[in-house]
Amino acid sequence: MKITQFTLIIISIFCFTSIRAQGTFTINGSVTAANSNETLIGVNVIVPELNKGVVTNEYGYYSLQVPEGNYRLEISYLGFQTITTTINLTEDLIQNFELEESTENLDEVFISQNVEQLDIRSAEMSVNKLSINTIQKMPVVFGEVDVVKSLLLLPGVSNAGEGSSGFNVRGGAVDQNLILLDEATIFNSSHLFGLFSVFNPDAIKDLRLYKGGIPAKFGGRVSSVLDIYQRDGNSKTFKAQGGIGVISSRLLAEGPIVKDKGSFLVGGRSSYAHLFLKFTDNSNSAYFYDLNTKLNYKLDDKNKLLLSAYFGRDVFSINQNFKNTYGNAVLNLRWNHVFSQNIFSNLSVIYSDYFYGLTLDFVGFVWNSGIKNLNLKYDFNHYVNNSIQLKYGVHNTYYEFNPGEIEPNNDESGINYFKLTNKYAFENAFYISANHSISNKLSAEYGLRYSSFFRLGQDGLNIYDNDQAILYNEDLDIYEEAEPTGKEFQDRTEVVEYFGNFEPRLALAYIINDNQSIKASYNRMTQYLHLLSNTSSPTPLDVWTPSGKYAKPQLLDQVALGYFHNVMDGKYSIEAETFYKKVQNRIDYVNGANLIANNAIEQIILNGKSRAYGFELLVRKNEGRFTGWLSYTLSKSEQQTPGRTAIETGINNGKWYNTSYDKTHDFSLTASYELNRDWLFSANFVYQTGLPATYPTGQYEYETISIPVFGDRNANRLPEFHRLDISATYVPKKSRDKKFKSSWNFGIYNVYNRKNAYSINFRENTDTGSNESVRLSLFGIIPSITYNFKF
Amino acid sequence: MKKLNIAIFSLFLIIFSSCEEVVELDLEKSEPRLVIEASIKWIKGTEGNNQSIRLSTTTPYYENENIPVDNAFVSVTTEDGSEIIFSNKGNGIFTTTNFSPNLGQEYTLKVIYEDDVYIATENLIPVPVIDYVDQERTGGFNGDEYEIKAYYTDPANEQNFYFFIFENDKTSIEIYEDEFTDGNQIFGYYSNEDIEAGDEIDIELAGISKAYYNYLFILRSQVGDNGGGPFQTQPATVKGNVLNTTNNNKFPFGYFRLSEVDKTTYTVQE
Repeated sequence: MKITQFTLIIISIFCFTSIRAQGTFTINGSVTAANSNETLIGVNVIVPELNKGVVTNEYGYYSLQVPEGNYRLEISYLGFQTITTTINLTEDLIQNFELEESTENLDEVFISQNVEQLDIRSAEMSVNKLSINTIQKMPVVFGEVDVVKSLLLLPGVSNAGEGSSGFNVRGGAVDQNLILLDEATIFNSSHLFGLFSVFNPDAIKDLRLYKGGIPAKFGGRVSSVLDIYQRDGNSKTFKAQGGIGVISSRLLAEGPIVKDKGSFLVGGRSSYAHLFLKFTDNSNSAYFYDLNTKLNYKLDDKNKLLLSAYFGRDVFSINQNFKNTYGNAVLNLRWNHVFSQNIFSNLSVIYSDYFYGLTLDFVGFVWNSGIKNLNLKYDFNHYVNNSIQLKYGVHNTYYEFNPGEIEPNNDESGINYFKLTNKYAFENAFYISANHSISNKLSAEYGLRYSSFFRLGQDGLNIYDNDQAILYNEDLDIYEEAEPTGKEFQDRTEVVEYFGNFEPRLALAYIINDNQSIKASYNRMTQYLHLLSNTSSPTPLDVWTPSGKYAKPQLLDQVALGYFHNVMDGKYSIEAETFYKKVQNRIDYVNGANLIANNAIEQIILNGKSRAYGFELLVRKNEGRFTGWLSYTLSKSEQQTPGRTAIETGINNGKWYNTSYDKTHDFSLTASYELNRDWLFSANFVYQTGLPATYPTGQYEYETISIPVFGDRNANRLPEFHRLDISATYVPKKSRDKKFKSSWNFGIYNVYNRKNAYSINFRENTDTGSNESVRLSLFGIIPSITYNFKF
Repeated sequence: MKKLNIAIFSLFLIIFSSCEEVVELDLEKSEPRLVIEASIKWIKGTEGNNQSIRLSTTTPYYENENIPVDNAFVSVTTEDGSEIIFSNKGNGIFTTTNFSPNLGQEYTLKVIYEDDVYIATENLIPVPVIDYVDQERTGGFNGDEYEIKAYYTDPANEQNFYFFIFENDKTSIEIYEDEFTDGNQIFGYYSNEDIEAGDEIDIELAGISKAYYNYLFILRSQVGDNGGGPFQTQPATVKGNVLNTTNNNKFPFGYFRLSEVDKTTYTVQE
């Protein structure tokens, strides 16, 4: 019923389009880079006389409505030369623009390049944009430019220590981030346990991270949205670029299929197998590779097709005894269509597959698990008038979860074939949101998303007495798995559980003056999938599971308030924000839960909640030879899992406990200095409160082994974390003006060789028999060198 | 599946060229608690009359000497109500010579210590024999470590849990369930870098209950290389099946379990 209402709303919006002021005309088109025909995202298209303007959308499209007459039009974008042109509007006009890159002969390049300008007027807040140029300047471990590592230097973004997968935003969990690569959802963002992210930096065009005030367009995860767009490929000339580093190498080629109409882009990366394994005469290996391909074809000014694919795998093997392969595969077809002068649409059909495979030869089995989904998205940008821009659309996703399948891999294996029950679900959402310039002082972005989740029938669903899958043993104060009383066999087409949620979103900006504004936002979001992980850092083995009878959807409410200030004509900018968020139905696991190959997860989970709050400060120096930023976050992230009744103790006796990624202080300083056209120096320094840990308060001997007695969960802290990295990039003179351009990057990670604690292990020393605590540190000082080229 | 975690963890360590260093921490010290190690083992081929139970208390983490408890009362009561008293032999050991084991029967442990009465009940769980022991030499990271496999045959169509203890210089405990191996001949697995040809390895296979399996599962995830690593499960206090009936909050550590046991000794071949 609600759905029909929604459809009605959308239909009525279409009717809107015919209502238009007399004597007003629309100018629309796309903005591309002149040397490659690459569409540009976020280009300002402004009519200075009217003080009106728009920015290009994710596909480089813009649309403006202007009264009849003669106007000056200004098209400006970072790192590109501004175009100023005059138009005479007497009818609707299609006008595409090509921007020339700022020439590198000018010294001003240093001044205006790579500036993530702070837009104080837009209602959008809690969003971080990083250009690939900025990311490429930062020093990183092993000299490899990395998207996720760069994000960690921004306020509100952290991770559970070096070498941990994924990232945490504003005290949220890793699985609560929506990661979109060309609109497709990526389930695992890490290679080699978080050493690299799965995104090939050479292939990326634009990325933004939404930490709060998340627009209604996005849903399905509660913490943040990382929205990444890849380059389409050069449709003018053939180009190639690549790099050779100490850990991995990469190569990317692009060029026209049909000049100015269609292009391709193929990029690949691979780490060197055996690299980490110092032994020479064995068959151990650990490596990753990934492949990005993209094809696009512009049919006409109104239609464009884009086909993109991603395939990535991590492979580990020890002695043929143990082999582990996992990764994402995504295939994505998109159709951009301009319906009329002011309605842009994008239809995406996406197939995505996350695979996890394991062979344990010494036990004699093969284990496969994964998640497949088919995703249909239809999104509209509707430029109603110069004050209101609407975005609306519909998203559908069909999921198939394979929690695991065990097969014997030889005749002598003592393992029986076993298949964990597949799960199926359908997620559906409608949304509409408006960007509204209410007055010169006030702008707003408000919207509503209605999401629904249909858990479909599966081959066998356990039934329990009173629906209690987990029982509390009051005498011993432990949770025990309940015995199922039966199994329900359902038809795949049957909806066995239904959830529906309205998700209102609101962001407001009040402009104090040209340089200052105050912004506030509220968003509610729902997450229907849960990542089952009971380890401190997620492992690739962790399994995604849909909401259903025993796991309710996670519901988030977040408010944020911010102050934004451009100082000295934008030379410096200050962003200060506070946030508070809470999540209902955050699952946690009872002590000792075994998640691996568990066909009845409901027997080991309890529903809890989490909350996080904090203050973030970002001060940037945007101009000059010396640029950089200072980022500071003061925050708290906690979780609580109380008992279901007054007698039950829940987890940690029902008390709040720190999440395993809670950091009270998180400070970082990032700076780069362009000495001259040959040399660029960068450095970053980070200081963070140590991660929470649980330390023993005693020990006893049992079966001749010393067993620790632990205190409250996450009540202790690892030692504080700090580190300094530096790097230098050298562009040889002779390479600069030639077609073949090259550069060298020299870096040192952890310059003063701080032994930061990754974890502290407690164990019995087998030689002395006494107990000891052992600090594990992952990275000492690591020098690196990378050679990059482009032609 | 612990093997799996260790495999992933060792890969992780190798990839990160990591470094380990012993550090001294200022750890909190919790109140001493009673520890009850009541493992009744009926070794196949024996009468099972001689049994012992060990009592001690917890100590601060770094001070891992054994603090025995001798001034306590210990008894086990059978299903038919006859109470077998265990007498103190010093050093926290309490023994009896007239225990009467019966497979499947329920027993109740009673311990009285410092006016608190501790109670636990558990069944005596049967176990199949160790069929044979085999060795291979393809284990570990270099593929040349000895691997010892002790085979047994799981009874079909029932849920079974197993507890292996392998002992040469080190003691290794391994636990198995038959979810994926029901009715098959399968093995207990032991491998480490210190095993050498000529070593004599004592192997003990015990039948255990599901509850005790769960207890050991948590216990094992908290100790040794598996404790504190990035793929550890959250550290937590491991609670056993012994209840302090006088003061529920002052729960003891340890477990009361009864197992039928098969034992063998294997000499590692070249």
